[in-house]
Amino acid sequence: MTAATHVGRARPALLALVGYTLRACLPNRRWIAILVPAAASLLFGFLASTVSDTAVSAFASTASTALFGLVMPVTCLVIGDAVLGAEVRSGAFTFTWMAPVPTWQIAVGRWLGGSIPAAGCLAVAFAAAAMVAGASESVVPVAIAAAFGAQAYVAVFIAIGCITKRAAVWSIAFVFLVERLLGAALAGVAQLSPSWEARAAFVGLADAREDFFRDGIPHGTAALVRLSLITAVALLLASRRLHNLKLTGSAD
Amino acid sequence: MTAVLPPPPAAAQLDPAFVADATVTATEVSVWFGQKVALSELSCSFGPGVTGLLGPNGAGKTTLMRAITGLIPVNQGHVTVDGRSPRDDREVYRRLALVPEDEAVPGGLTPRRLCSYVADLHGITDRSIVDWALHTVEMVPVAERSIDGFSKGMRQRAKVAAALVKNPLILVLDEPLNGADPVQRLHLIELFRRLGAEGRTVIVSSHVLNEVESMAERVIVVVRGRLAAAGGHRAIRDAMDDVPRQVLVRAPDGRRLAAALLGNEVVRGITVDGDDLTISTTRARELALLLPRAAQDLGVHLTEVRPLDDSLESLFRELVR
Repeated sequence: MTAATHVGRARPALLALVGYTLRACLPNRRWIAILVPAAASLLFGFLASTVSDTAVSAFASTASTALFGLVMPVTCLVIGDAVLGAEVRSGAFTFTWMAPVPTWQIAVGRWLGGSIPAAGCLAVAFAAAAMVAGASESVVPVAIAAAFGAQAYVAVFIAIGCITKRAAVWSIAFVFLVERLLGAALAGVAQLSPSWEARAAFVGLADAREDFFRDGIPHGTAALVRLSLITAVALLLASRRLHNLKLTGSAD
Repeated sequence: MTAVLPPPPAAAQLDPAFVADATVTATEVSVWFGQKVALSELSCSFGPGVTGLLGPNGAGKTTLMRAITGLIPVNQGHVTVDGRSPRDDREVYRRLALVPEDEAVPGGLTPRRLCSYVADLHGITDRSIVDWALHTVEMVPVAERSIDGFSKGMRQRAKVAAALVKNPLILVLDEPLNGADPVQRLHLIELFRRLGAEGRTVIVSSHVLNEVESMAERVIVVVRGRLAAAGGHRAIRDAMDDVPRQVLVRAPDGRRLAAALLGNEVVRGITVDGDDLTISTTRARELALLLPRAAQDLGVHLTEVRPLDDSLESLFRELVR
Protein backbone atom coordinates (compact mmCIF):
# COMPACT_ATOMS: atom_id res chain seq x y z
CA MET A 1 0.00 0.00 0.00
CA THR A 2 1.36 3.37 -0.88
CA ALA A 3 -0.05 6.64 0.26
CA ALA A 4 1.48 10.05 0.57
CA THR A 5 2.02 10.75 4.24
CA HIS A 6 -0.27 13.40 5.61
CA VAL A 7 -0.13 13.06 9.35
CA GLY A 8 -2.88 14.85 11.19
CA ARG A 9 -4.47 14.40 14.59
CA ALA A 10 -6.90 11.57 14.99
CA ARG A 11 -10.19 12.64 16.48
CA PRO A 12 -10.80 10.88 19.81
CA ALA A 13 -12.92 7.78 19.27
CA LEU A 14 -15.61 9.00 21.66
CA LEU A 15 -16.03 12.24 19.71
CA ALA A 16 -16.10 10.30 16.45
CA LEU A 17 -18.82 8.06 17.88
CA VAL A 18 -20.93 11.03 18.97
CA GLY A 19 -20.50 12.77 15.62
CA TYR A 20 -21.33 9.59 13.74
CA THR A 21 -24.41 8.95 15.87
CA LEU A 22 -25.72 12.44 15.18
CA ARG A 23 -25.08 12.14 11.46
CA ALA A 24 -25.73 8.54 10.54
CA CYS A 25 -28.22 7.35 13.14
CA LEU A 26 -30.47 10.38 13.03
CA PRO A 27 -31.10 11.10 9.36
CA ASN A 28 -33.79 13.52 8.20
CA ARG A 29 -36.59 10.98 8.41
CA ARG A 30 -35.87 10.37 12.07
CA TRP A 31 -35.75 14.08 12.75
CA ILE A 32 -39.29 14.43 11.46
CA ALA A 33 -40.36 11.62 13.79
CA ILE A 34 -38.70 13.51 16.64
CA LEU A 35 -40.06 16.94 15.80
CA VAL A 36 -43.69 15.83 15.38
CA PRO A 37 -44.16 14.78 19.03
CA ALA A 38 -42.15 17.81 20.10
CA ALA A 39 -44.60 19.99 18.21
CA ALA A 40 -47.44 18.06 19.79
CA SER A 41 -46.23 19.18 23.20
CA LEU A 42 -47.07 22.76 22.16
CA LEU A 43 -50.59 21.58 21.48
CA PHE A 44 -50.77 20.06 24.94
CA GLY A 45 -49.53 23.36 26.32
CA PHE A 46 -52.36 25.09 24.53
CA LEU A 47 -54.86 22.58 25.89
CA ALA A 48 -53.56 23.23 29.41
CA SER A 49 -54.25 26.91 28.91
CA THR A 50 -57.94 26.13 28.36
CA VAL A 51 -58.35 24.20 31.63
CA SER A 52 -60.21 26.11 34.33
CA ASP A 53 -57.53 25.88 37.00
CA THR A 54 -54.45 27.88 37.90
CA ALA A 55 -51.97 27.91 35.05
CA VAL A 56 -49.32 26.06 37.07
CA SER A 57 -51.69 23.32 38.19
CA ALA A 58 -53.26 22.92 34.77
CA PHE A 59 -49.85 22.61 33.15
CA ALA A 60 -48.62 20.22 35.89
CA SER A 61 -51.58 17.98 35.20
CA THR A 62 -51.06 18.06 31.44
CA ALA A 63 -47.31 17.60 31.73
CA SER A 64 -47.66 14.62 34.07
CA THR A 65 -49.95 12.69 31.81
CA ALA A 66 -49.28 13.88 28.27
CA LEU A 67 -45.76 15.28 28.14
CA PHE A 68 -43.93 12.90 30.47
CA GLY A 69 -46.28 10.00 29.90
CA LEU A 70 -46.52 10.08 26.13
CA VAL A 71 -44.43 12.67 24.28
CA MET A 72 -41.18 11.92 26.10
CA PRO A 73 -41.24 8.11 25.76
CA VAL A 74 -42.29 8.23 22.11
CA THR A 75 -39.58 10.75 21.17
CA CYS A 76 -36.92 8.86 23.10
CA LEU A 77 -38.07 5.57 21.62
CA VAL A 78 -37.51 6.92 18.12
CA ILE A 79 -34.04 8.18 19.04
CA GLY A 80 -33.05 5.31 21.33
CA ASP A 81 -33.84 2.70 18.70
CA ALA A 82 -32.08 4.69 15.98
CA VAL A 83 -28.80 5.06 17.84
CA LEU A 84 -28.25 1.34 18.31
CA GLY A 85 -31.10 -1.13 17.80
CA ALA A 86 -31.80 -0.15 14.20
CA GLU A 87 -28.11 -0.41 13.29
CA VAL A 88 -27.74 -3.81 14.90
CA ARG A 89 -30.78 -5.05 12.99
CA SER A 90 -29.60 -3.69 9.65
CA GLY A 91 -26.05 -4.97 10.01
CA ALA A 92 -24.47 -1.51 9.75
CA PHE A 93 -23.28 -1.71 13.35
CA THR A 94 -20.33 -3.90 12.31
CA PHE A 95 -18.53 -0.73 11.12
CA THR A 96 -18.53 0.51 14.70
CA TRP A 97 -18.19 -2.77 16.51
CA MET A 98 -15.13 -3.95 14.58
CA ALA A 99 -12.89 -1.26 16.01
CA PRO A 100 -10.31 -1.41 18.79
CA VAL A 101 -12.50 0.77 20.97
CA PRO A 102 -13.67 -0.32 24.43
CA THR A 103 -17.34 -1.23 24.51
CA TRP A 104 -18.05 1.37 27.20
CA GLN A 105 -16.94 4.07 24.77
CA ILE A 106 -19.29 2.73 22.13
CA ALA A 107 -22.18 2.71 24.64
CA VAL A 108 -21.40 6.17 25.98
CA GLY A 109 -20.76 7.61 22.51
CA ARG A 110 -24.07 6.32 21.22
CA TRP A 111 -25.84 7.54 24.35
CA LEU A 112 -24.34 11.03 24.08
CA GLY A 113 -25.20 11.17 20.38
CA GLY A 114 -28.78 10.19 21.16
CA SER A 115 -29.40 12.03 24.41
CA ILE A 116 -28.08 15.40 23.21
CA PRO A 117 -30.83 15.83 20.57
CA ALA A 118 -33.44 14.06 22.71
CA ALA A 119 -32.79 16.14 25.81
CA GLY A 120 -32.35 19.37 23.85
CA CYS A 121 -35.44 18.85 21.76
CA LEU A 122 -37.71 17.84 24.63
CA ALA A 123 -36.41 20.45 27.06
CA VAL A 124 -37.09 23.23 24.55
CA ALA A 125 -40.46 21.80 23.49
CA PHE A 126 -41.66 21.27 27.07
CA ALA A 127 -40.47 24.72 28.13
CA ALA A 128 -42.30 26.21 25.16
CA ALA A 129 -45.40 24.26 26.16
CA ALA A 130 -45.19 25.74 29.67
CA MET A 131 -44.99 29.20 28.13
CA VAL A 132 -48.00 28.51 25.91
CA ALA A 133 -49.89 27.26 28.96
CA GLY A 134 -49.06 30.48 30.75
CA ALA A 135 -47.09 28.67 33.48
CA SER A 136 -43.85 30.57 33.21
CA GLU A 137 -42.79 29.37 36.69
CA SER A 138 -42.76 25.82 35.34
CA VAL A 139 -40.45 26.53 32.40
CA VAL A 140 -37.17 25.73 34.14
CA PRO A 141 -38.42 22.74 36.17
CA VAL A 142 -40.07 21.10 33.17
CA ALA A 143 -36.99 21.67 31.00
CA ILE A 144 -34.67 20.16 33.61
CA ALA A 145 -36.96 17.19 34.22
CA ALA A 146 -37.33 16.62 30.46
CA ALA A 147 -33.58 16.70 29.90
CA PHE A 148 -32.84 14.24 32.70
CA GLY A 149 -35.75 12.00 31.74
CA ALA A 150 -34.73 11.95 28.10
CA GLN A 151 -31.14 10.98 28.76
CA ALA A 152 -32.31 8.19 31.10
CA TYR A 153 -34.76 6.92 28.51
CA VAL A 154 -32.15 6.87 25.73
CA ALA A 155 -29.76 4.93 27.99
CA VAL A 156 -32.49 2.40 28.80
CA PHE A 157 -33.38 1.97 25.12
CA ILE A 158 -29.70 1.52 24.21
CA ALA A 159 -29.45 -1.18 26.88
CA ILE A 160 -32.54 -2.88 25.45
CA GLY A 161 -30.92 -2.66 22.00
CA CYS A 162 -27.90 -4.51 23.37
CA ILE A 163 -30.00 -7.21 24.99
CA THR A 164 -32.46 -8.06 22.26
CA LYS A 165 -32.52 -7.88 18.49
CA ARG A 166 -36.15 -6.72 18.44
CA ALA A 167 -35.25 -3.57 20.33
CA ALA A 168 -38.17 -1.48 19.11
CA VAL A 169 -40.76 -4.05 20.17
CA TRP A 170 -39.20 -4.60 23.58
CA SER A 171 -38.80 -0.86 24.10
CA ILE A 172 -42.51 -0.34 23.42
CA ALA A 173 -43.26 -3.20 25.80
CA PHE A 174 -41.08 -1.53 28.42
CA VAL A 175 -42.94 1.77 28.09
CA PHE A 176 -46.48 0.47 27.98
CA LEU A 177 -46.34 -2.74 30.01
CA VAL A 178 -43.60 -2.10 32.56
CA GLU A 179 -43.89 1.65 33.04
CA ARG A 180 -47.55 2.37 32.33
CA LEU A 181 -49.11 -0.81 33.64
CA LEU A 182 -46.81 -2.10 36.37
CA GLY A 183 -45.40 1.31 37.20
CA ALA A 184 -48.88 2.72 37.79
CA ALA A 185 -49.65 -0.06 40.25
CA LEU A 186 -46.29 -0.59 41.94
CA ALA A 187 -44.19 2.26 43.31
CA GLY A 188 -41.17 -0.03 43.33
CA VAL A 189 -41.38 -0.38 39.54
CA ALA A 190 -42.12 3.33 39.11
CA GLN A 191 -38.89 4.14 40.92
CA LEU A 192 -37.01 2.52 38.05
CA SER A 193 -39.07 4.24 35.37
CA PRO A 194 -37.69 7.31 33.56
CA SER A 195 -41.24 8.45 32.88
CA TRP A 196 -42.40 8.31 36.50
CA GLU A 197 -39.16 9.71 37.84
CA ALA A 198 -39.12 12.57 35.33
CA ARG A 199 -42.64 13.64 36.25
CA ALA A 200 -41.70 13.31 39.96
CA ALA A 201 -38.67 15.50 39.32
CA PHE A 202 -40.87 18.08 37.61
CA VAL A 203 -43.59 18.27 40.26
CA GLY A 204 -40.93 18.44 42.97
CA LEU A 205 -38.94 21.19 41.27
CA ALA A 206 -42.08 23.10 40.27
CA ASP A 207 -43.40 22.87 43.80
CA ALA A 208 -46.70 21.67 42.42
CA ARG A 209 -49.81 20.88 44.41
CA GLU A 210 -49.60 18.02 46.91
CA ASP A 211 -51.93 15.74 44.89
CA PHE A 212 -49.40 15.55 42.04
CA PHE A 213 -46.88 13.86 44.34
CA ARG A 214 -46.83 10.09 44.45
CA ASP A 215 -45.98 8.18 47.60
CA GLY A 216 -42.93 5.94 47.49
CA ILE A 217 -41.12 7.88 44.76
CA PRO A 218 -38.43 10.49 45.36
CA HIS A 219 -39.31 13.93 44.01
CA GLY A 220 -37.46 17.02 42.85
CA THR A 221 -33.68 16.83 43.06
CA ALA A 222 -33.79 13.32 44.51
CA ALA A 223 -35.64 12.18 41.41
CA LEU A 224 -32.95 13.75 39.22
CA VAL A 225 -30.36 11.73 41.14
CA ARG A 226 -32.48 8.63 40.61
CA LEU A 227 -32.68 9.35 36.87
CA SER A 228 -28.90 9.71 36.75
CA LEU A 229 -28.55 6.37 38.52
CA ILE A 230 -30.93 4.73 36.03
CA THR A 231 -28.79 6.18 33.24
CA ALA A 232 -25.54 4.91 34.75
CA VAL A 233 -26.89 1.41 35.39
CA ALA A 234 -28.38 1.20 31.89
CA LEU A 235 -25.09 2.29 30.29
CA LEU A 236 -23.14 -0.17 32.41
CA LEU A 237 -25.48 -2.93 31.34
CA ALA A 238 -25.24 -1.82 27.70
CA SER A 239 -21.46 -1.80 27.87
CA ARG A 240 -21.32 -5.32 29.28
CA ARG A 241 -23.87 -6.65 26.83
CA LEU A 242 -22.10 -5.02 23.88
CA HIS A 243 -19.07 -7.12 24.66
CA ASN A 244 -21.16 -10.28 24.20
CA LEU A 245 -23.26 -9.02 21.32
CA LYS A 246 -24.08 -11.47 18.52
CA LEU A 247 -24.05 -9.65 15.21
CA THR A 248 -25.75 -12.16 13.00
CA GLY A 249 -26.62 -9.69 10.25
CA SER A 250 -29.82 -8.46 8.68
CA ALA A 251 -30.68 -11.77 7.03
CA ASP A 252 -30.95 -13.70 10.29
CA MET B 1 -7.02 -8.39 27.56
CA THR B 2 -4.87 -10.59 25.35
CA ALA B 3 -5.93 -14.20 25.04
CA VAL B 4 -3.25 -16.25 23.32
CA LEU B 5 -4.63 -19.59 22.28
CA PRO B 6 -2.57 -22.65 21.35
CA PRO B 7 -1.69 -23.20 17.68
CA PRO B 8 -3.33 -26.10 15.86
CA PRO B 9 -1.68 -29.52 16.21
CA ALA B 10 1.38 -30.14 14.05
CA ALA B 11 -0.37 -32.97 12.21
CA ALA B 12 -2.93 -30.47 10.99
CA GLN B 13 -0.22 -28.66 9.05
CA LEU B 14 -0.19 -31.52 6.54
CA ASP B 15 -3.89 -31.26 5.96
CA PRO B 16 -4.77 -29.20 2.85
CA ALA B 17 -7.33 -27.41 4.97
CA PHE B 18 -4.43 -25.87 6.85
CA VAL B 19 -1.56 -23.67 5.79
CA ALA B 20 1.87 -23.47 7.36
CA ASP B 21 1.90 -19.70 7.89
CA ALA B 22 -1.63 -19.37 9.18
CA THR B 23 -2.91 -16.03 10.36
CA VAL B 24 -6.46 -17.22 10.92
CA THR B 25 -7.24 -20.62 12.38
CA ALA B 26 -10.56 -22.26 13.06
CA THR B 27 -10.31 -25.38 15.19
CA GLU B 28 -13.24 -27.75 15.57
CA VAL B 29 -15.61 -24.82 15.28
CA SER B 30 -19.30 -25.46 15.78
CA VAL B 31 -21.95 -22.77 15.70
CA TRP B 32 -25.66 -23.29 16.06
CA PHE B 33 -28.66 -21.03 16.21
CA GLY B 34 -31.33 -22.77 18.24
CA GLN B 35 -31.98 -26.09 16.52
CA LYS B 36 -30.12 -25.11 13.35
CA VAL B 37 -26.49 -26.14 13.11
CA ALA B 38 -24.67 -23.57 10.99
CA LEU B 39 -21.12 -24.93 11.41
CA SER B 40 -20.18 -28.38 12.57
CA GLU B 41 -16.68 -29.17 13.85
CA LEU B 42 -15.08 -27.22 11.05
CA SER B 43 -11.30 -26.91 11.12
CA CYS B 44 -9.24 -24.96 8.64
CA SER B 45 -6.76 -22.13 8.47
CA PHE B 46 -6.02 -19.17 6.25
CA GLY B 47 -2.70 -17.60 5.45
CA PRO B 48 -1.28 -14.85 3.24
CA GLY B 49 -2.79 -14.75 -0.23
CA VAL B 50 -6.33 -15.00 -1.48
CA THR B 51 -8.45 -17.90 -0.27
CA GLY B 52 -11.87 -18.45 -1.76
CA LEU B 53 -14.67 -19.62 0.46
CA LEU B 54 -17.26 -21.55 -1.49
CA GLY B 55 -20.50 -23.23 -0.71
CA PRO B 56 -24.18 -23.10 -1.56
CA ASN B 57 -26.58 -20.74 0.15
CA GLY B 58 -26.93 -21.68 3.78
CA ALA B 59 -23.71 -23.70 3.77
CA GLY B 60 -22.21 -21.67 6.60
CA LYS B 61 -19.81 -19.39 4.73
CA THR B 62 -21.15 -16.20 6.26
CA THR B 63 -21.32 -17.81 9.69
CA LEU B 64 -17.68 -18.86 9.37
CA MET B 65 -16.71 -15.34 8.34
CA ARG B 66 -18.64 -13.87 11.25
CA ALA B 67 -16.97 -16.31 13.63
CA ILE B 68 -13.56 -15.41 12.23
CA THR B 69 -14.24 -11.72 12.69
CA GLY B 70 -15.66 -12.23 16.17
CA LEU B 71 -19.12 -10.94 15.31
CA ILE B 72 -20.63 -14.10 16.73
CA PRO B 73 -19.27 -16.44 19.41
CA VAL B 74 -18.59 -20.07 18.58
CA ASN B 75 -20.47 -22.69 20.58
CA GLN B 76 -17.59 -25.18 20.38
CA GLY B 77 -13.98 -25.02 19.31
CA HIS B 78 -12.08 -21.80 18.91
CA VAL B 79 -10.99 -19.23 16.37
CA THR B 80 -7.70 -17.39 16.49
CA VAL B 81 -6.74 -14.36 14.46
CA ASP B 82 -3.06 -13.53 14.61
CA GLY B 83 -2.88 -15.85 17.63
CA ARG B 84 -5.64 -14.05 19.50
CA SER B 85 -9.30 -14.66 20.05
CA PRO B 86 -11.36 -12.04 18.19
CA ARG B 87 -14.14 -12.28 20.80
CA ASP B 88 -11.85 -11.56 23.72
CA ASP B 89 -9.28 -9.15 22.37
CA ARG B 90 -10.61 -6.08 20.59
CA GLU B 91 -7.08 -5.09 19.57
CA VAL B 92 -7.46 -7.74 16.85
CA TYR B 93 -9.64 -5.25 14.99
CA ARG B 94 -6.70 -2.95 14.35
CA ARG B 95 -5.66 -5.11 11.40
CA LEU B 96 -8.74 -7.24 10.80
CA ALA B 97 -11.35 -5.88 8.42
CA LEU B 98 -14.65 -7.22 7.16
CA VAL B 99 -16.69 -6.28 4.14
CA PRO B 100 -20.05 -7.64 5.25
CA GLU B 101 -22.63 -9.14 2.95
CA ASP B 102 -25.37 -6.93 4.37
CA GLU B 103 -26.32 -4.19 1.99
CA ALA B 104 -26.82 -1.83 4.90
CA VAL B 105 -24.26 0.88 5.28
CA PRO B 106 -24.51 3.77 7.68
CA GLY B 107 -27.01 6.16 6.16
CA GLY B 108 -26.54 9.87 5.80
CA LEU B 109 -22.79 9.53 5.31
CA THR B 110 -20.64 10.07 2.28
CA PRO B 111 -17.92 7.52 1.44
CA ARG B 112 -15.33 10.00 2.68
CA ARG B 113 -17.12 10.46 6.01
CA LEU B 114 -17.51 6.70 6.41
CA CYS B 115 -13.79 6.20 5.80
CA SER B 116 -12.93 9.08 8.14
CA TYR B 117 -15.16 7.57 10.81
CA VAL B 118 -13.35 4.22 10.54
CA ALA B 119 -10.01 6.05 10.61
CA ASP B 120 -11.04 7.94 13.75
CA LEU B 121 -12.14 4.77 15.51
CA HIS B 122 -8.75 3.23 14.75
CA GLY B 123 -6.79 6.27 15.83
CA ILE B 124 -5.27 6.64 12.37
CA THR B 125 -3.37 9.90 12.12
CA ASP B 126 -2.32 9.56 8.48
CA ARG B 127 -5.43 11.04 6.89
CA SER B 128 -4.15 10.53 3.36
CA ILE B 129 -5.05 6.87 3.77
CA VAL B 130 -8.69 7.92 3.38
CA ASP B 131 -7.90 9.44 -0.02
CA TRP B 132 -5.88 6.36 -0.93
CA ALA B 133 -8.72 4.00 -0.01
CA LEU B 134 -11.26 6.03 -2.01
CA HIS B 135 -8.89 6.24 -4.94
CA THR B 136 -8.22 2.50 -4.82
CA VAL B 137 -11.90 1.64 -5.26
CA GLU B 138 -12.38 4.51 -7.74
CA MET B 139 -14.78 6.42 -5.53
CA VAL B 140 -13.04 9.79 -5.52
CA PRO B 141 -15.57 11.39 -7.94
CA VAL B 142 -18.48 10.39 -5.69
CA ALA B 143 -16.67 10.70 -2.36
CA GLU B 144 -18.86 13.61 -1.26
CA ARG B 145 -22.18 12.09 -2.31
CA SER B 146 -24.49 10.47 0.22
CA ILE B 147 -24.24 6.68 0.34
CA ASP B 148 -28.03 6.55 0.67
CA GLY B 149 -28.39 7.17 -3.07
CA PHE B 150 -25.79 4.60 -4.12
CA SER B 151 -26.46 1.44 -6.07
CA LYS B 152 -25.62 -1.91 -4.49
CA GLY B 153 -22.32 -2.09 -6.32
CA MET B 154 -21.29 1.38 -5.22
CA ARG B 155 -22.19 0.55 -1.64
CA GLN B 156 -19.99 -2.51 -1.87
CA ARG B 157 -17.11 -0.38 -3.05
CA ALA B 158 -17.70 2.11 -0.24
CA LYS B 159 -17.53 -0.79 2.23
CA VAL B 160 -14.32 -2.03 0.65
CA ALA B 161 -12.84 1.46 0.96
CA ALA B 162 -13.83 1.59 4.63
CA ALA B 163 -12.11 -1.78 5.14
CA LEU B 164 -8.95 -0.64 3.35
CA VAL B 165 -8.62 2.39 5.62
CA LYS B 166 -7.50 0.02 8.36
CA ASN B 167 -4.59 -1.13 6.18
CA PRO B 168 -5.68 -4.63 7.18
CA LEU B 169 -3.40 -7.64 7.46
CA ILE B 170 -6.48 -9.82 7.31
CA LEU B 171 -9.32 -8.87 5.03
CA VAL B 172 -12.56 -10.85 5.08
CA LEU B 173 -14.88 -10.18 2.16
CA ASP B 174 -18.37 -11.65 2.15
CA GLU B 175 -19.73 -11.60 -1.40
CA PRO B 176 -17.84 -8.38 -2.20
CA LEU B 177 -18.63 -8.41 -5.91
CA ASN B 178 -22.40 -8.43 -5.48
CA GLY B 179 -23.95 -5.70 -7.55
CA ALA B 180 -20.68 -4.51 -9.10
CA ASP B 181 -20.69 -3.93 -12.85
CA PRO B 182 -18.32 -6.05 -15.02
CA VAL B 183 -15.61 -3.39 -15.16
CA GLN B 184 -15.71 -2.87 -11.42
CA ARG B 185 -15.68 -6.62 -10.85
CA LEU B 186 -12.46 -6.93 -12.80
CA HIS B 187 -11.03 -3.97 -10.95
CA LEU B 188 -11.95 -5.37 -7.54
CA ILE B 189 -10.67 -8.84 -8.44
CA GLU B 190 -7.37 -7.27 -9.45
CA LEU B 191 -7.33 -5.32 -6.18
CA PHE B 192 -7.94 -8.42 -4.06
CA ARG B 193 -5.24 -10.31 -5.92
CA ARG B 194 -2.85 -7.45 -5.36
CA LEU B 195 -3.66 -7.32 -1.66
CA GLY B 196 -3.07 -11.06 -1.46
CA ALA B 197 0.22 -10.73 -3.30
CA GLU B 198 1.29 -8.09 -0.77
CA GLY B 199 1.18 -10.81 1.89
CA ARG B 200 -2.21 -10.00 3.35
CA THR B 201 -4.64 -12.74 4.23
CA VAL B 202 -7.63 -12.21 1.97
CA ILE B 203 -10.65 -14.45 2.51
CA VAL B 204 -13.34 -13.99 -0.08
CA SER B 205 -16.67 -15.67 -0.62
CA SER B 206 -18.69 -15.37 -3.77
CA HIS B 207 -21.42 -17.06 -5.74
CA VAL B 208 -19.75 -16.05 -9.00
CA LEU B 209 -17.49 -19.04 -8.98
CA ASN B 210 -15.43 -18.31 -12.05
CA GLU B 211 -14.41 -15.04 -10.44
CA VAL B 212 -13.27 -16.82 -7.31
CA GLU B 213 -11.40 -19.21 -9.56
CA SER B 214 -9.63 -16.29 -11.16
CA MET B 215 -8.54 -14.63 -7.93
CA ALA B 216 -8.08 -17.35 -5.31
CA GLU B 217 -5.07 -19.63 -5.26
CA ARG B 218 -6.71 -21.72 -2.61
CA VAL B 219 -10.28 -22.75 -2.06
CA ILE B 220 -12.13 -23.89 1.04
CA VAL B 221 -15.44 -25.53 0.28
CA VAL B 222 -18.07 -25.57 3.00
CA VAL B 223 -21.17 -27.69 2.60
CA ARG B 224 -23.89 -27.99 5.23
CA GLY B 225 -21.65 -26.43 7.84
CA ARG B 226 -18.83 -28.88 7.29
CA LEU B 227 -15.56 -28.66 5.46
CA ALA B 228 -16.13 -30.43 2.14
CA ALA B 229 -12.80 -29.81 0.40
CA ALA B 230 -9.72 -27.64 0.57
CA GLY B 231 -6.77 -26.84 -1.65
CA GLY B 232 -6.25 -25.58 -5.19
CA HIS B 233 -9.38 -26.06 -7.28
CA ARG B 234 -7.65 -28.43 -9.69
CA ALA B 235 -6.15 -30.41 -6.83
CA ILE B 236 -9.56 -30.79 -5.30
CA ARG B 237 -10.93 -31.92 -8.62
CA ASP B 238 -8.15 -34.47 -9.10
CA ALA B 239 -8.71 -35.83 -5.63
CA MET B 240 -12.28 -36.60 -6.48
CA ASP B 241 -11.54 -39.64 -8.62
CA ASP B 242 -14.85 -41.22 -7.95
CA VAL B 243 -16.74 -38.24 -9.29
CA PRO B 244 -17.55 -38.62 -13.00
CA ARG B 245 -16.40 -35.85 -15.29
CA GLN B 246 -18.00 -35.02 -18.58
CA VAL B 247 -16.18 -34.30 -21.79
CA LEU B 248 -17.82 -32.93 -24.90
CA VAL B 249 -16.50 -34.42 -28.13
CA ARG B 250 -17.66 -32.95 -31.42
CA ALA B 251 -16.94 -35.00 -34.52
CA PRO B 252 -18.69 -35.83 -37.81
CA ASP B 253 -19.85 -39.44 -37.65
CA GLY B 254 -19.67 -39.31 -33.88
CA ARG B 255 -21.92 -42.36 -33.52
CA ARG B 256 -19.18 -44.61 -34.90
CA LEU B 257 -16.71 -43.15 -32.42
CA ALA B 258 -19.23 -43.62 -29.59
CA ALA B 259 -19.70 -47.27 -30.49
CA ALA B 260 -15.94 -47.84 -30.44
CA LEU B 261 -15.48 -46.10 -27.09
CA LEU B 262 -18.38 -47.73 -25.27
CA GLY B 263 -16.54 -50.98 -24.74
CA ASN B 264 -13.60 -49.30 -23.07
CA GLU B 265 -13.38 -49.40 -19.29
CA VAL B 266 -12.27 -45.76 -19.18
CA VAL B 267 -15.70 -44.67 -20.43
CA ARG B 268 -18.62 -44.86 -18.04
CA GLY B 269 -21.28 -43.66 -20.45
CA ILE B 270 -21.89 -41.70 -23.63
CA THR B 271 -24.77 -39.47 -24.62
CA VAL B 272 -25.10 -38.86 -28.36
CA ASP B 273 -26.79 -35.75 -29.70
CA GLY B 274 -26.18 -35.47 -33.44
CA ASP B 275 -22.46 -34.93 -33.88
CA ASP B 276 -21.99 -34.16 -30.18
CA LEU B 277 -20.87 -36.86 -27.78
CA THR B 278 -20.96 -36.25 -24.05
CA ILE B 279 -18.61 -38.80 -22.50
CA SER B 280 -18.70 -39.55 -18.78
CA THR B 281 -15.49 -40.80 -17.19
CA THR B 282 -13.72 -41.03 -13.88
CA ARG B 283 -10.31 -41.31 -15.58
CA ALA B 284 -9.99 -38.12 -17.58
CA ARG B 285 -6.26 -38.42 -18.24
CA GLU B 286 -6.62 -41.88 -19.76
CA LEU B 287 -9.57 -40.67 -21.83
CA ALA B 288 -7.38 -37.86 -23.15
CA LEU B 289 -4.95 -40.48 -24.49
CA LEU B 290 -7.65 -42.86 -25.70
CA LEU B 291 -9.71 -40.37 -27.69
CA PRO B 292 -7.22 -39.31 -30.38
CA ARG B 293 -6.06 -42.91 -30.80
CA ALA B 294 -9.62 -44.17 -31.33
CA ALA B 295 -10.43 -41.31 -33.67
CA GLN B 296 -7.30 -42.02 -35.74
CA ASP B 297 -8.11 -45.74 -35.93
CA LEU B 298 -11.65 -44.98 -37.16
CA GLY B 299 -10.59 -42.14 -39.44
CA VAL B 300 -12.85 -39.73 -37.55
CA HIS B 301 -11.87 -36.07 -37.42
CA LEU B 302 -12.31 -34.52 -33.97
CA THR B 303 -13.45 -30.92 -34.34
CA GLU B 304 -13.74 -30.14 -30.63
CA VAL B 305 -12.84 -31.77 -27.33
CA ARG B 306 -13.81 -29.78 -24.27
CA PRO B 307 -14.32 -30.67 -20.60
CA LEU B 308 -17.82 -29.65 -19.61
CA ASP B 309 -17.25 -29.45 -15.91
CA ASP B 310 -13.64 -28.57 -15.23
CA SER B 311 -14.58 -25.48 -13.34
CA LEU B 312 -15.32 -24.65 -9.77
CA GLU B 313 -18.93 -24.39 -10.68
CA SER B 314 -19.22 -28.06 -11.53
CA LEU B 315 -17.03 -29.08 -8.64
CA PHE B 316 -19.31 -27.11 -6.39
CA ARG B 317 -22.35 -28.85 -7.85
CA GLU B 318 -20.86 -32.24 -7.29
CA LEU B 319 -19.76 -31.47 -3.78
CA VAL B 320 -23.19 -30.41 -2.71
CA ARG B 321 -25.00 -33.22 -4.47
